[in-house]
Order: sequence, then C-alpha cells, then structure tokens
Amino acid sequence: MTAADVYAILPLIVLGGASVVVLLGIAVHRSHSLTLILTLTGLVAAFLLLPLVSIEAPRQVTPLLVIDSYSIFFSGLIIAASFIITVLSYSYLSQQRGHREEFYLFLLLATLGSVVLVASTHFASFFLGLEVLSVSLYTLIAYSRKEYGIEAGVKYLILAGLSSAFLLFGMALVYSELGTMKLAQIPTSLSNPSSGVSQVFVLGGLALIVVGIGFKLALVPFHLWTPDVYQGAPAPVTAFVATISKGAMFALLLRYFTVVNIHNYPSLYLAFVVIAIASMFIGNLLGLLQTKLKRLLAYSSISHLGYLLVAFLASGPLAAVAVAFYLVTYFVTTLGAFGLITIMSNSDRDAEDPEDYRGLFWRKPWIAGSFTAMLLSLAGVPLTAGFVGKFYLVTAGIGSALWLLVIVLVVTSGIGLYYYLRVVVAMFASLPKGSTIAPAMRISPHFTGALAVTILVLLLFWLGIYPTPILRLIESMVTGFS
Amino acid sequence: MLGLLWLIPVIPLIGFILLAIIGPRLSRTAVAIIGVGSVGISAILAILVAISFISSPPAGNAFTQTLWTWINVTNFNPGISFYLDSLSMIMVLVVTFVGFVIHLYSAEHMLHQEGYSRFFAYMNLFVGSMLILVLANNLLLLYLGWEGVGLCSYLLIGFWYTNPANGRAARKAFIVTRVGDAAMAIGLFLLFNNLATLNIQDVMQRAAQTWQIGSPLAVTAAALLLGGAVGKSAQLPLQTWLPDAMAGPSPVSALIHAATMVTAGVYLIARTHVLFSLAPSVQLAVAIVGAATLLLAGFSALTQWDIKRVLAYSTISQIGYMFLALGVGAWSAAIFHFMTHAFFKALLFLAAGVVIDAMNDEHNMFKMGGLRTQLPLTFWTFLIGSSALSALPLITSGFYSKDLILFDAYASPSGSTWLWLAGLVGAFLTSIYTFRMVFLTFFGKPKTKAVYQPGSRINLALIVLAAFALLIGFLETPSFLGNINVLGNFLSASLPATSILPQRAGSEGILELVSAVISLVGIYLAYLLFLRVPKTTEAMVQSPVGAVLHRYWFSGWGFDWLYDTVLVRPFVWMANSNKNDFIDLLYKGIIRLNEALHRVLSNTENGLVRWYATGIAIGAVIIIAIVVFL
Repeated sequence: MTAADVYAILPLIVLGGASVVVLLGIAVHRSHSLTLILTLTGLVAAFLLLPLVSIEAPRQVTPLLVIDSYSIFFSGLIIAASFIITVLSYSYLSQQRGHREEFYLFLLLATLGSVVLVASTHFASFFLGLEVLSVSLYTLIAYSRKEYGIEAGVKYLILAGLSSAFLLFGMALVYSELGTMKLAQIPTSLSNPSSGVSQVFVLGGLALIVVGIGFKLALVPFHLWTPDVYQGAPAPVTAFVATISKGAMFALLLRYFTVVNIHNYPSLYLAFVVIAIASMFIGNLLGLLQTKLKRLLAYSSISHLGYLLVAFLASGPLAAVAVAFYLVTYFVTTLGAFGLITIMSNSDRDAEDPEDYRGLFWRKPWIAGSFTAMLLSLAGVPLTAGFVGKFYLVTAGIGSALWLLVIVLVVTSGIGLYYYLRVVVAMFASLPKGSTIAPAMRISPHFTGALAVTILVLLLFWLGIYPTPILRLIESMVTGFS
Repeated sequence: MLGLLWLIPVIPLIGFILLAIIGPRLSRTAVAIIGVGSVGISAILAILVAISFISSPPAGNAFTQTLWTWINVTNFNPGISFYLDSLSMIMVLVVTFVGFVIHLYSAEHMLHQEGYSRFFAYMNLFVGSMLILVLANNLLLLYLGWEGVGLCSYLLIGFWYTNPANGRAARKAFIVTRVGDAAMAIGLFLLFNNLATLNIQDVMQRAAQTWQIGSPLAVTAAALLLGGAVGKSAQLPLQTWLPDAMAGPSPVSALIHAATMVTAGVYLIARTHVLFSLAPSVQLAVAIVGAATLLLAGFSALTQWDIKRVLAYSTISQIGYMFLALGVGAWSAAIFHFMTHAFFKALLFLAAGVVIDAMNDEHNMFKMGGLRTQLPLTFWTFLIGSSALSALPLITSGFYSKDLILFDAYASPSGSTWLWLAGLVGAFLTSIYTFRMVFLTFFGKPKTKAVYQPGSRINLALIVLAAFALLIGFLETPSFLGNINVLGNFLSASLPATSILPQRAGSEGILELVSAVISLVGIYLAYLLFLRVPKTTEAMVQSPVGAVLHRYWFSGWGFDWLYDTVLVRPFVWMANSNKNDFIDLLYKGIIRLNEALHRVLSNTENGLVRWYATGIAIGAVIIIAIVVFL
C-alpha cells in the first residue's frame, strides 16, 4: 500500500478514527453534547475530504476497494444522510433516559460499513462492510427499551444472520467454480469457455448473493422483517435502515451487476424482473389499509426499492443516472418523513398512531405541512423531488422498452397514492370534538430536529424545481463509472 | 438591465411566500408593506427593463432569459425561461402597474376585513403567476401560470368563504374554466406530439413550415387553444362564470376579473397568432365569438341592478371586442384595447367598490342616487372611466381603441360589414348601460346617505387610473387625428401589421364619425330613459314583450338555465341513477380486490420470526429455481 493509497481512503480512515475517538471520549467524560460534536466533526471531516480524494480517483486501493467518482458520490450521499440522522438522533435522545452516548459510536460504525460497501470490488470487502453495518444496526435497533425495541433487534439479528449465511454460501459457490473473489475477474472467468466452469453453480451462487442483497433491500420475498423492525426501532434508526443501509446496498448491487453484465444472463435478469414486480405490487398492497405510520413507511420503502429496480434493469447511461437521482430524492424524502416522526416522539413512545396525526394541521401546521410535502413526494406529485425522480425512472424504463415493468410501476403508484393521501387527509381532518389532544401534538420540537427537517423540506422543493445541479453531478459521476 | 427580468415575477412570489409563512403574525402595516411593496418593486423593475428594452433593443427585438432547464430528456426539455418581446413587455407593464395601483387601493379597502394577510398573499401569488404566464418562453411554463391564475381566481372569489354562495361562485368559475383548460391541455399535447417542441417561438416556426394553411392539424390545434381562451376570457359559450365571480372583493374584480386574468385568452391568441393565421376558419370563429359575445353581454348589462354585475357583463362585452379584433387579424388593435380597458375597467371597479362601501355594502343601483355631491372625487373618476368605456369621442382612451377595432373589423380583408355593425350596436349598448349606471348611482335624489369617505390611498389609486384612462389613448390615433402610431410601431416587432383593404381605407373618418355619434346618442338615450322619464322605462319593462326580454337579458340570456338543464341536471341525474350500475361494479371490484389482497398479504406479517425465516428460504428456493432452471 502506497501513500497515495492511504490518501485515497482517508475518508474511511477518518470515519474509523472518529469512532475510536468517540469511544475513548465516552470512557473519559460522558457528555451528550460533546459526543454529538465529536461525531459531527468526524462526519464533516470525512465529507470535506471527498472532493480532495476525488483528484486521485479512480484508484484501486488493494484488491478490496476502489475509490472512483461513483463510490465518492455515494459516500458523500451516505455521510450527508448520516449527518442529518445524527442531528435528528440528538433531538430524539434528548428526550430519553439512560445512556445516550454509545448510540453515536454505532452510528459512525454503521456509516463506515456503508461507505465500505459502495467502494467494494471484492467479496471480502463486501462481507466486511455488510457485517460492520449489520452488527451496528442490531444494537441501534434495540437501543431504546421502548415497546417492541428489543424484539425488533433480535428479529433483525436472527434474520440478517440467516441472510448472511445465504450470501456467504453464494460467494463460496462462485469462488469454488471461478477461483476468484475479485469482482472484475468474474465476467472474464465466466465467459472463458475453456475453463470448464459450470454455469449452473456460478448462477446459483449469484442467485444466493441476490438473496442476501434482497434481504437488506427488503425486496419481496425477503421483505417480511421490514414492518416489525421499522416499528420497533427508534425513529432515527429506522431512517438509517430505510436510507443509508438500503442506499449503500443498492449502489453495490448496481456496481456488481454492471460489471457482471446482467443482460448477458437472461435467467438472472428474469429473477430480478419477478422481484421488481412483486415488490411494487406487494409493497403497495400491504400499505393500503395500514394506519401505523412507521409500518406504512416500511411498506412504502418496499415498493420504492421495487421502482428503483426498474431503472436498474434498464440499460444505458440514463439508467444509472435515474438510479442515483432517485436514491437522492428517496433519501431526502424518507429522512424528512422519519425526521418529522422523530421530532414528534417523546420519551415513552414514537408518534405513529392515527390519533397522533389526525387533525395535526390545526395544532402544528408546520409539521403537518412538511409531512404533506414528504408524502406527496413519496407519491410522486409534480414540483416535489419525488416527481422528477420517478420521471427519470419511467424515462429510463421506456428508453429500454421495459413496458411491463413501466406499466406495473404506473399502476402500483396509483395504488400507493391512496395510502399516502389517506394520511394527508387525516392530518387535515377536523379534530374530533371533546377528544383529548394526543401527546404528539403537545410536544414542542427540539431546535436541532426542526432545523434538520426544514433543510430537508427546502431540499425537497429544490430538487423538484431545480434539479439541474444534482443531475450534472450525477452525470459526471456516471461517465466515470461505466 | 434586461438581466433583471427574472426578478419581475419572482418578487411577488417571494411576497406570497413571506405572507403565507409569517403573514398571520405580522401587523397590518407590515402586511401591507410586503404585499403592496413587492408588486411596487416589480412595477419599477418592469419600467427599468422597458426603458432598457426600448432604448437599446436586443437582437431580433426579443430577449430570452433561461434560468435553468427543469427536466432534460431526449426532446422534452422545458426550461424555466422567460421571453421578452414588445407584446410581453406591454403585458408586463400593464399587469405590474395596474396591479400595483390596485394593491395600493386594497391596502386601505381591505383594512378592516378578516384575513388581511391571506388576501395579500393570494393577490401576490396572482401577480406572480400572471407574470409567469405572460413571460413564459414555453407552453408548459405558460400553462403553469395559466393554472396559477385560475387557482388564485378561485381562492379570491371565495375569499369570504363563510358564505356558501361565494363558495359556489368560486367552484363555478373553477369548473367552467376547467372545461377550456382541458381543451387547451389537449391542444398542447397535440402541438408537442406533432412539432416535438413546446418552445413557443419554435412551435410557431415549425407550424408555419410543416402545416399548410387550413390543414386539419393546424385547425384542430388552433381550435383547442381557442377553447382555452374562451374559458379564461369568459367568451361564448363559457362566459357564465364571470358575473358570479363578482362575489369576490372589489379589488379582485378589478385586477383579476377585469384588467388582467380574463384577458389571458386574448394574450394567448396574440402570442400564437401564427397558428391562427394557419387556420382561417378558426380565426373567423374567433371574430364571430367576439361579435356574438359583445352583443349578448351588452344586452344583459342593460338589465342588471347590481352595479358590479353591470361591470362584469361589460367586461365580457369588451373582451368580445378584443376577440373581434383578433379574429379579423387586427392583433395590435386587440392589445391596444386590452391596455385601455385594463385602466378604465380597473378604475370603474375600484370606484364601484368605494360606492358599495359608502352605501354600507349595498349593490343595488336603484337604492343609490345623488352620490355626486357626497362622493365628489369618486364621482369624477367614475365618470372618466364611464366615458372611456362608452368611447366618448376625442378625449377618452376608449374612443381610440374601440374605434380602431371597429375600423379594422370593417376594412381588414377578413372583416365584413356585419362584424362592423355588430361592434357598432355593441358600442351603442355600451354607452346606454354605462350611463344608466352613472345616472342611477350618482344623479337623481339621494336615497341613502354615504356612510364612508375614502382615504388618501384609495383616492390616489383612483386619480392615477383616471389619468391613464384619459391619456393612454393617445398612443395610437387615427390618420386624420394626428396619426400617432407609437403602439402599433412598437408591437410590429412581435405582431404582424393589420392589413387594410385599399378600397375601404378611405372610410376611416366616416366610421369614426358614425361611432362618435352613436356613443353620444347612447348617452343621451340613457339620460332620457333613466333620469328624465324613468316611469316610461318602467312601463316598457312591464309590457309583455319587455318583460320577456328583460327576463332573458337579466339572466344572461338563460345560459345558466340552459347549461343547468342540458348538462348539469342530466349529469347529476345520470350519476345518481347510475350510482350502482355495472360499470361501478368494476371499480368497486378493483377496490374489493385490492382490499382482499391487502388482507391476505397482511396475514404474512404475523410477527413470527420462524415464519419470516421460512419466507426467506422459500424466496431463495424460488429465485434459484428461476435462475438455474430457466
């Protein structure tokens, strides 16, 4: 490893170093605000290093990691999202009893794992990144001892362990046939007819890897854990699971299956089509009559990942642009929605019941208005980020003539609109006479949380009205990628 | 200076956002400063831009400012970009300037109303949307402004929402204009589908290159755009919403339902005039619609007792003149009349607002009278506005703009004696109903005492508008009266000049004389009928023929009744009786199906880890099966 290599992975080193500093900081002096400042400093430093590092890009650092514009872009997205989640966590944890500081340690570690995933070019780094992410998440999900917290943590532990087993076995199958775990060598070994490779075992191995990835992305049929975990985890952690964890995994999926050109393997392609259609339908249908907000957003995220697969399955540069842009809009919107739940929650429970938001507009017009904007963006209404994102997905799909997938996308978006609007309607409904005011409506939002949400609302409209700068950034990222 | 163009629509929008967010917490003074100030800054910027535009015209006499491209995929790349040429320049100047004066008036007029900041928020949003509409460089952005002004119109008609009648009027306006908007949207799809662009200038250029004169596509596209225009501009057959729109506050009627929004249809046709030139049959339809509307609305205005409804019908009628001008290819005459009308009609509405306030919210002219001495300034300004509306010869702006239209309707190649005659009869009606209003309100014996005197801001607004209502006509005068052509020359860069048949060109003086006489006779007749011998008039109305006519005219020729009987009632009846038909079963079936699927799938979310693990295993088996065996 040369000095230039070390320089290229400086952001990762900074993230790792920051977690060590936070760990030691807690041992020396337990202080919530100090821990917050250390964490944020680490995240900001890592973020600011990205543009400096990009001068060295693209660079292969050891066989495990590649620092190219693609990984830098997604690292930036992940670190920015992590910053927002940290700020939200501060406002969330301020209401909690017990130890709060270790939370940030796991947050930093989970972020580190995600950044490793988007830079991974080797099965080893894939697995390492995934486990650093997952192990941190087990703790985070069970962090607060509210109702369902521990249950959700244990469920996630067992099921994620199971899916990791599938993933490892898939990797082992691929390795046993091809003798390599380097991503770049898989397609060459596979297409070499003289090597006597059994396609069945390799494809089977890839299918098992898809199972592992599908679990993390909560794609149907590996989605069953989602609502329980979303509901049980503290709201900022749910936001982490919904955005960073899935975004990093999707970036990895796109990288792996662009290198292993998925269009060359019709049966694998078909498997993804089936997964996409099932996710879009089942995610939206499950959400239809759901009244608990966090469960509803869980189902919504299943369908959104299904939409993303449409662009993933399209080919050409527009497809990668569509995926990246949609992920950005999905991050902003989902973080906003969970941010709003965060600032409405109190020490006993997270605000997600129907009575928490019925008639909310008449009590807290700003929270209700922001929530409406987020839900409309999830539904894909024009002038919000979600519309432009979905527009690009559909354009990418049509560009590759994926008519079936596009039609399913449109139909299921229609189904989805119903449950988003149902929440909006409930927020604007008049308060039932004589009812007691839900505790969520009496809470006065913590300053930091309110600030984070305001920024997200502004971003939401900015991306919906003036998406050009982000699109330019993404386009330059994609030219460096494929 | 031209670089400041984008600020003109943006500043009122900022005003709207500020008022929407912090308005309710601000004092009334602060609200007025933001609300009036934003439009004022916009007006100043518009004047600066205009000076720079005129003193050093940009290349091609048009300036395009692209802020950014909203979405850019293949050939669909609508930009957030503004297009300034002489046509949009005039629209911007009128919208911002008249808008500013009306905002100034409202600051005082609305002072004691509930929802002061809400009012100014809507008004600022309206001005911003209207400016986007007139400055838009592509049809999509234009449509955004078009819908934006429609929304504001709806919100402001129903401003006093606690009265259900106002809500009904607002909905009526929204739904009736929606009919036109739907036609327009289809027109835009058609244009984009065939010409592969939404940029207005490109559309015009490509249309002229690809389509023959009278080709079916050109005719269809023009007809669909005309549909949008008649909806927004309250022309036949979609005129019924405007009289009811008077439920809103008077400044709203002045700004939205007289000076600016309702003339958006005129602007749209002028903007896309190339398309209409390619479809002569549609252009003829424009002229006929205009002529018919101006007559029908003129008769209706004669019979109204509500002072604002008289003005509403008069607005419909005057926009009819603009359509008539567009229909005979007198593009700049239509814009000229739009300008003069914006000033004098805004003036009339504002003055009527003062009268209504002074009469303690009384709209009935027959309960007014003798206000001349009690509200002197309002009287004089109202008189100036009325004279301009009646085209009083030589001194008023209305005379110059209306008579230009009448001459063009007669002498242009697509004009005819019939169109001219319709316009002339309309002019006669105009001066009768206008001075009927003046005599009933301001002359005769006082019936009620004025309970209110306008303050300085209202008086200032009235004086400024009155001055413009007199002076603005001198931008364009006939050949034998100075032959000034400032406006026509300015507009010639964006709109083709009106062609005049040589054999009819000489008759301009005679025609002017005829219409001058007609206007004066009309005023005298109004004096006779409504001041000298009101009893005789009453008897005429009571006579069998008179009663029938009066009923028809009063109800706007029964269009409301007609639409109610032919469209609304059958529709409601069908909807009611078909509530449970088999088509509905299909939709209900879809709902049931979705709900059933939801329930089935919900059973899979049972919270049992063993079941979830099994789910993953089954899923893995399915995926492997697909990958390995297919």
